[in-house]
Amino acid sequence: MREEELSNAIQATIESATATVQKPGRLVASVPKAAATSALIFLKARGFEHLSAVTCTDWLEQGEFEIVYHLWSYQDKIHIMLKTRVSRENPQMVTAMPVFRHAQTYEREIHEMYGVRFEGNPRLTPLLLDHWQGPPPMRRDFDTRQYVEETFGSTPPAEE
Amino acid sequence: MDREEILKILKSPANWGQKYSLWAVYFCTGCGVVEIPPVITSRWDAERFGVLPMATPRQGNLFLITGYVSVKTLGAIIRTYDQMPDPKYVVGFGSCPVNGGMYWDSYNTIKHLDQYLPVDGWIAGCMPRPEAIFVAVVHLWQMIDKGMAVGYKRYRENYDYYQRNQRAVLPHLPKFDLSQDALVQRSR
Repeated sequence: MREEELSNAIQATIESATATVQKPGRLVASVPKAAATSALIFLKARGFEHLSAVTCTDWLEQGEFEIVYHLWSYQDKIHIMLKTRVSRENPQMVTAMPVFRHAQTYEREIHEMYGVRFEGNPRLTPLLLDHWQGPPPMRRDFDTRQYVEETFGSTPPAEE
Repeated sequence: MDREEILKILKSPANWGQKYSLWAVYFCTGCGVVEIPPVITSRWDAERFGVLPMATPRQGNLFLITGYVSVKTLGAIIRTYDQMPDPKYVVGFGSCPVNGGMYWDSYNTIKHLDQYLPVDGWIAGCMPRPEAIFVAVVHLWQMIDKGMAVGYKRYRENYDYYQRNQRAVLPHLPKFDLSQDALVQRSR
Protein backbone atom coordinates (compact mmCIF):
# COMPACT_ATOMS: atom_id res chain seq x y z
CA MET A 1 0.00 0.00 0.00
CA ARG A 2 1.57 3.25 -1.16
CA GLU A 3 0.07 5.39 1.62
CA GLU A 4 1.59 3.19 4.32
CA GLU A 5 4.96 3.23 2.59
CA LEU A 6 4.87 6.96 2.33
CA SER A 7 3.90 7.51 5.95
CA ASN A 8 6.72 5.21 7.06
CA ALA A 9 9.17 7.04 4.80
CA ILE A 10 8.15 10.43 6.23
CA GLN A 11 8.58 9.22 9.80
CA ALA A 12 11.91 7.60 9.01
CA THR A 13 13.32 10.62 7.14
CA ILE A 14 12.14 13.58 9.17
CA GLU A 15 12.89 13.78 12.84
CA SER A 16 9.92 13.84 15.27
CA ALA A 17 7.42 13.75 12.42
CA THR A 18 4.12 11.91 12.66
CA ALA A 19 2.13 10.64 9.73
CA THR A 20 -1.21 8.83 9.66
CA VAL A 21 -3.29 7.46 6.83
CA GLN A 22 -6.74 8.99 7.18
CA LYS A 23 -8.35 7.04 4.36
CA PRO A 24 -7.20 5.62 1.01
CA GLY A 25 -5.53 8.45 -0.87
CA ARG A 26 -5.26 10.86 2.04
CA LEU A 27 -2.43 11.36 4.50
CA VAL A 28 -2.00 13.72 7.43
CA ALA A 29 1.56 14.49 8.47
CA SER A 30 2.75 16.91 11.10
CA VAL A 31 6.32 18.08 11.33
CA PRO A 32 8.10 20.56 13.60
CA LYS A 33 8.46 24.11 12.35
CA ALA A 34 12.17 23.80 11.58
CA ALA A 35 11.63 20.72 9.38
CA ALA A 36 8.77 22.11 7.28
CA THR A 37 10.90 23.19 4.34
CA SER A 38 12.89 19.98 4.23
CA ALA A 39 9.62 18.02 4.38
CA LEU A 40 8.34 19.99 1.41
CA ILE A 41 11.55 19.31 -0.53
CA PHE A 42 11.35 15.63 0.35
CA LEU A 43 7.71 15.33 -0.72
CA LYS A 44 8.28 17.24 -3.94
CA ALA A 45 11.05 14.81 -4.84
CA ARG A 46 8.62 11.94 -4.15
CA GLY A 47 6.23 13.24 -6.80
CA PHE A 48 4.09 15.70 -4.87
CA GLU A 49 4.37 18.38 -7.50
CA HIS A 50 1.17 20.28 -6.88
CA LEU A 51 0.81 22.60 -3.90
CA SER A 52 -2.98 23.13 -3.95
CA ALA A 53 -3.21 25.57 -1.06
CA VAL A 54 -1.61 26.85 2.10
CA THR A 55 -4.05 27.45 4.92
CA CYS A 56 -3.86 28.55 8.51
CA THR A 57 -5.85 27.64 11.61
CA ASP A 58 -5.91 29.58 14.85
CA TRP A 59 -5.69 27.33 17.93
CA LEU A 60 -6.35 30.02 20.49
CA GLU A 61 -6.47 27.72 23.55
CA GLN A 62 -3.10 26.16 22.72
CA GLY A 63 -1.57 29.48 21.73
CA GLU A 64 -0.55 28.28 18.30
CA PHE A 65 -1.19 28.80 14.61
CA GLU A 66 -1.32 25.69 12.46
CA ILE A 67 -0.10 26.11 8.90
CA VAL A 68 -1.27 23.40 6.52
CA TYR A 69 0.28 22.68 3.12
CA HIS A 70 -2.00 20.72 0.82
CA LEU A 71 0.04 18.66 -1.62
CA TRP A 72 -1.15 16.42 -4.42
CA SER A 73 0.68 13.74 -6.34
CA TYR A 74 -0.50 13.13 -9.88
CA GLN A 75 1.58 9.99 -9.99
CA ASP A 76 0.20 8.25 -6.89
CA LYS A 77 -3.10 10.15 -6.62
CA ILE A 78 -2.49 10.92 -2.95
CA HIS A 79 -3.45 14.09 -1.13
CA ILE A 80 -1.17 14.91 1.78
CA MET A 81 -1.81 17.55 4.40
CA LEU A 82 1.50 18.66 5.83
CA LYS A 83 0.89 20.45 9.12
CA THR A 84 3.22 22.52 11.18
CA ARG A 85 2.68 24.79 14.19
CA VAL A 86 4.05 28.20 15.10
CA SER A 87 3.57 30.07 18.37
CA ARG A 88 0.95 32.77 18.55
CA GLU A 89 3.16 35.23 20.42
CA ASN A 90 5.84 35.33 17.74
CA PRO A 91 4.23 33.95 14.56
CA GLN A 92 7.15 33.44 12.26
CA MET A 93 7.74 30.89 9.54
CA VAL A 94 10.19 30.27 6.73
CA THR A 95 8.71 30.84 3.29
CA ALA A 96 7.99 27.88 1.02
CA MET A 97 8.81 29.96 -2.05
CA PRO A 98 12.13 28.27 -2.95
CA VAL A 99 10.27 24.94 -3.23
CA PHE A 100 6.91 26.11 -4.58
CA ARG A 101 7.13 29.56 -6.09
CA HIS A 102 3.39 30.20 -6.09
CA ALA A 103 3.22 29.85 -2.30
CA GLN A 104 3.91 33.58 -2.37
CA THR A 105 0.24 34.56 -2.73
CA TYR A 106 -0.97 32.11 -0.11
CA GLU A 107 1.60 33.36 2.36
CA ARG A 108 0.68 36.93 1.57
CA GLU A 109 -2.95 36.18 2.40
CA ILE A 110 -2.07 34.35 5.64
CA HIS A 111 0.12 37.28 6.64
CA GLU A 112 -2.79 39.64 6.05
CA MET A 113 -5.48 37.56 7.75
CA TYR A 114 -3.51 36.05 10.66
CA GLY A 115 -0.40 38.19 10.96
CA VAL A 116 2.04 35.31 10.42
CA ARG A 117 5.35 36.62 9.07
CA PHE A 118 7.01 34.53 6.37
CA GLU A 119 10.75 35.07 6.35
CA GLY A 120 12.11 35.35 2.83
CA ASN A 121 8.83 36.29 1.17
CA PRO A 122 9.60 39.55 -0.61
CA ARG A 123 6.04 40.83 -0.97
CA LEU A 124 3.87 40.59 2.14
CA THR A 125 1.76 43.61 1.21
CA PRO A 126 -2.03 43.69 1.79
CA LEU A 127 -3.89 41.55 -0.71
CA LEU A 128 -7.64 41.87 -0.14
CA LEU A 129 -8.10 44.54 2.51
CA ASP A 130 -7.76 48.21 1.74
CA HIS A 131 -6.19 50.53 4.31
CA TRP A 132 -6.94 48.10 7.12
CA GLN A 133 -6.46 49.69 10.52
CA GLY A 134 -7.45 46.92 12.93
CA PRO A 135 -5.74 43.69 14.03
CA PRO A 136 -5.62 40.73 11.59
CA PRO A 137 -9.30 39.89 11.11
CA MET A 138 -9.27 36.09 10.96
CA ARG A 139 -7.68 35.67 14.39
CA ARG A 140 -10.13 34.23 16.84
CA ASP A 141 -9.58 36.92 19.46
CA PHE A 142 -10.59 39.58 16.92
CA ASP A 143 -14.08 40.72 17.93
CA THR A 144 -15.79 41.16 14.57
CA ARG A 145 -19.05 42.58 15.90
CA GLN A 146 -17.34 45.14 18.05
CA TYR A 147 -15.11 46.20 15.16
CA VAL A 148 -18.10 46.49 12.84
CA GLU A 149 -20.05 48.58 15.33
CA GLU A 150 -17.13 50.92 15.87
CA THR A 151 -16.18 51.24 12.21
CA PHE A 152 -19.44 51.07 10.29
CA GLY A 153 -22.14 51.66 12.92
CA SER A 154 -23.96 48.44 12.18
CA THR A 155 -27.68 48.03 12.69
CA PRO A 156 -28.55 45.91 15.73
CA PRO A 157 -29.43 42.28 14.91
CA ALA A 158 -33.04 41.14 14.90
CA GLU A 159 -34.25 39.74 18.21
CA GLU A 160 -33.90 35.99 18.27
CA MET B 1 -48.51 62.45 -26.52
CA ASP B 2 -51.17 64.60 -24.94
CA ARG B 3 -51.23 68.33 -24.54
CA GLU B 4 -50.33 68.23 -20.86
CA GLU B 5 -47.19 66.26 -21.54
CA ILE B 6 -46.08 68.79 -24.15
CA LEU B 7 -46.63 71.62 -21.67
CA LYS B 8 -44.53 69.78 -19.12
CA ILE B 9 -41.70 69.38 -21.64
CA LEU B 10 -41.85 73.05 -22.55
CA LYS B 11 -41.74 73.99 -18.87
CA SER B 12 -38.46 72.20 -18.30
CA PRO B 13 -36.80 70.70 -21.38
CA ALA B 14 -33.72 69.83 -19.34
CA ASN B 15 -35.70 67.67 -16.95
CA TRP B 16 -37.37 65.96 -19.88
CA GLY B 17 -34.01 65.23 -21.45
CA GLN B 18 -32.49 63.90 -18.26
CA LYS B 19 -35.53 61.79 -17.54
CA TYR B 20 -35.46 59.80 -20.76
CA SER B 21 -31.70 59.39 -21.02
CA LEU B 22 -30.72 57.74 -17.76
CA TRP B 23 -27.42 56.27 -18.79
CA ALA B 24 -26.18 53.82 -16.19
CA VAL B 25 -22.49 53.52 -15.42
CA TYR B 26 -21.53 49.95 -16.17
CA PHE B 27 -19.98 49.38 -12.77
CA CYS B 28 -20.30 45.91 -11.30
CA THR B 29 -20.47 45.51 -7.54
CA GLY B 30 -21.21 42.23 -5.81
CA CYS B 31 -23.66 39.63 -6.98
CA GLY B 32 -26.56 41.93 -8.00
CA VAL B 33 -24.92 42.62 -11.31
CA VAL B 34 -26.15 39.26 -12.67
CA GLU B 35 -29.50 40.99 -13.11
CA ILE B 36 -28.03 43.65 -15.38
CA PRO B 37 -27.33 41.59 -18.56
CA PRO B 38 -30.98 40.46 -18.93
CA VAL B 39 -32.10 44.02 -18.21
CA ILE B 40 -30.03 45.62 -20.95
CA THR B 41 -30.44 42.87 -23.55
CA SER B 42 -33.48 41.83 -25.55
CA ARG B 43 -35.35 39.97 -22.78
CA TRP B 44 -36.28 43.16 -20.89
CA ASP B 45 -34.62 45.77 -23.12
CA ALA B 46 -33.93 48.68 -20.83
CA GLU B 47 -33.50 51.01 -23.79
CA ARG B 48 -37.29 51.29 -23.94
CA PHE B 49 -36.90 53.37 -20.79
CA GLY B 50 -33.87 55.22 -22.05
CA VAL B 51 -31.56 53.27 -19.74
CA LEU B 52 -28.29 52.33 -21.39
CA PRO B 53 -25.08 50.94 -19.94
CA MET B 54 -22.27 53.43 -20.34
CA ALA B 55 -18.63 52.50 -20.42
CA THR B 56 -17.27 55.58 -18.69
CA PRO B 57 -18.55 57.61 -15.74
CA ARG B 58 -18.15 60.82 -17.77
CA GLN B 59 -21.08 59.78 -19.95
CA GLY B 60 -23.36 58.32 -17.30
CA ASN B 61 -25.81 59.87 -14.89
CA LEU B 62 -27.35 56.82 -13.23
CA PHE B 63 -25.26 54.83 -10.77
CA LEU B 64 -26.66 51.44 -9.76
CA ILE B 65 -24.88 50.00 -6.72
CA THR B 66 -25.67 46.36 -7.38
CA GLY B 67 -24.90 44.45 -4.21
CA TYR B 68 -22.55 44.42 -1.26
CA VAL B 69 -19.90 47.10 -1.11
CA SER B 70 -16.55 46.09 0.32
CA VAL B 71 -14.23 48.80 1.59
CA LYS B 72 -11.99 48.44 -1.45
CA THR B 73 -14.96 48.75 -3.80
CA LEU B 74 -16.20 51.79 -1.91
CA GLY B 75 -13.03 53.62 -2.90
CA ALA B 76 -13.67 52.83 -6.57
CA ILE B 77 -17.35 53.80 -6.22
CA ILE B 78 -16.49 57.19 -4.72
CA ARG B 79 -13.87 57.85 -7.41
CA THR B 80 -16.42 56.94 -10.09
CA TYR B 81 -19.15 59.06 -8.53
CA ASP B 82 -16.86 62.08 -8.29
CA GLN B 83 -16.13 61.79 -12.01
CA MET B 84 -19.78 61.75 -13.09
CA PRO B 85 -21.22 65.05 -14.32
CA ASP B 86 -24.23 66.61 -12.59
CA PRO B 87 -27.07 65.76 -12.40
CA LYS B 88 -26.39 62.22 -11.23
CA TYR B 89 -28.58 59.72 -9.49
CA VAL B 90 -27.56 56.87 -7.21
CA VAL B 91 -29.81 53.86 -6.72
CA GLY B 92 -28.96 51.16 -4.20
CA PHE B 93 -29.88 47.78 -5.63
CA GLY B 94 -30.53 44.86 -3.27
CA SER B 95 -30.54 44.67 0.49
CA CYS B 96 -26.77 44.90 1.00
CA PRO B 97 -26.31 48.63 0.31
CA VAL B 98 -29.35 49.35 2.53
CA ASN B 99 -28.04 47.89 5.79
CA GLY B 100 -25.39 45.33 4.94
CA GLY B 101 -27.87 42.55 4.22
CA MET B 102 -26.38 39.18 5.00
CA TYR B 103 -23.00 40.91 5.50
CA TRP B 104 -24.28 42.97 8.44
CA ASP B 105 -21.43 41.76 10.68
CA SER B 106 -18.70 41.45 8.06
CA TYR B 107 -15.46 43.25 8.87
CA ASN B 108 -14.80 44.37 5.30
CA THR B 109 -18.23 45.45 4.01
CA ILE B 110 -19.79 48.84 4.54
CA LYS B 111 -23.31 48.77 5.98
CA HIS B 112 -25.13 51.98 5.10
CA LEU B 113 -24.33 53.30 1.67
CA ASP B 114 -26.08 56.60 2.37
CA GLN B 115 -23.40 57.48 4.92
CA TYR B 116 -20.87 57.64 2.11
CA LEU B 117 -22.86 58.75 -0.93
CA PRO B 118 -26.23 60.48 -1.36
CA VAL B 119 -28.69 57.81 -2.46
CA ASP B 120 -31.80 58.82 -4.41
CA GLY B 121 -33.61 55.51 -4.21
CA TRP B 122 -33.44 51.98 -2.95
CA ILE B 123 -34.54 48.73 -4.53
CA ALA B 124 -35.14 46.19 -1.76
CA GLY B 125 -34.77 42.45 -2.17
CA CYS B 126 -32.17 39.77 -2.41
CA MET B 127 -32.10 39.67 -5.43
CA PRO B 128 -34.65 42.08 -6.86
CA ARG B 129 -36.09 40.97 -10.18
CA PRO B 130 -35.17 42.93 -13.33
CA GLU B 131 -38.69 44.40 -13.29
CA ALA B 132 -37.78 46.12 -10.03
CA ILE B 133 -35.18 48.17 -11.91
CA PHE B 134 -37.91 49.50 -14.19
CA VAL B 135 -40.15 50.30 -11.24
CA ALA B 136 -37.23 52.23 -9.78
CA VAL B 137 -36.62 54.02 -13.07
CA VAL B 138 -40.26 55.10 -13.27
CA HIS B 139 -40.07 56.30 -9.65
CA LEU B 140 -36.94 58.22 -10.53
CA TRP B 141 -38.79 59.87 -13.44
CA GLN B 142 -41.46 61.07 -11.06
CA MET B 143 -38.83 62.31 -8.63
CA ILE B 144 -37.04 64.23 -11.40
CA ASP B 145 -40.36 65.76 -12.46
CA LYS B 146 -41.04 66.93 -8.93
CA GLY B 147 -37.45 68.05 -8.36
CA MET B 148 -36.90 65.51 -5.59
CA ALA B 149 -33.94 63.61 -7.06
CA VAL B 150 -31.36 66.07 -5.78
CA GLY B 151 -28.80 63.71 -4.27
CA TYR B 152 -25.96 65.44 -6.10
CA LYS B 153 -26.92 68.77 -4.51
CA ARG B 154 -27.13 67.12 -1.11
CA TYR B 155 -23.65 65.73 -1.68
CA ARG B 156 -22.28 69.18 -2.38
CA GLU B 157 -24.03 70.79 0.58
CA ASN B 158 -23.08 68.08 3.08
CA TYR B 159 -19.71 67.29 1.60
CA ASP B 160 -17.99 67.53 4.99
CA TYR B 161 -20.28 64.88 6.45
CA TYR B 162 -19.72 62.49 3.55
CA GLN B 163 -15.99 63.20 3.53
CA ARG B 164 -15.71 62.42 7.23
CA ASN B 165 -17.44 59.07 6.79
CA GLN B 166 -15.47 58.21 3.67
CA ARG B 167 -12.16 59.02 5.32
CA ALA B 168 -12.98 57.00 8.43
CA VAL B 169 -12.60 53.83 6.35
CA LEU B 170 -10.47 55.10 3.46
CA PRO B 171 -8.06 57.78 4.69
CA HIS B 172 -6.24 58.08 1.36
CA LEU B 173 -9.13 59.42 -0.75
CA PRO B 174 -8.60 62.80 -2.43
CA LYS B 175 -10.54 65.76 -1.12
CA PHE B 176 -12.20 68.23 -3.47
CA ASP B 177 -13.42 71.75 -2.96
CA LEU B 178 -17.06 71.45 -3.95
CA SER B 179 -18.20 74.88 -2.74
CA GLN B 180 -20.13 77.00 -5.22
CA ASP B 181 -17.33 79.60 -5.46
CA ALA B 182 -14.75 76.99 -6.36
CA LEU B 183 -17.03 75.46 -9.01
CA VAL B 184 -17.65 78.87 -10.57
CA GLN B 185 -13.94 79.58 -10.53
CA ARG B 186 -13.19 76.29 -12.26
CA SER B 187 -15.80 76.78 -14.97
CA ARG B 188 -14.29 80.12 -15.97
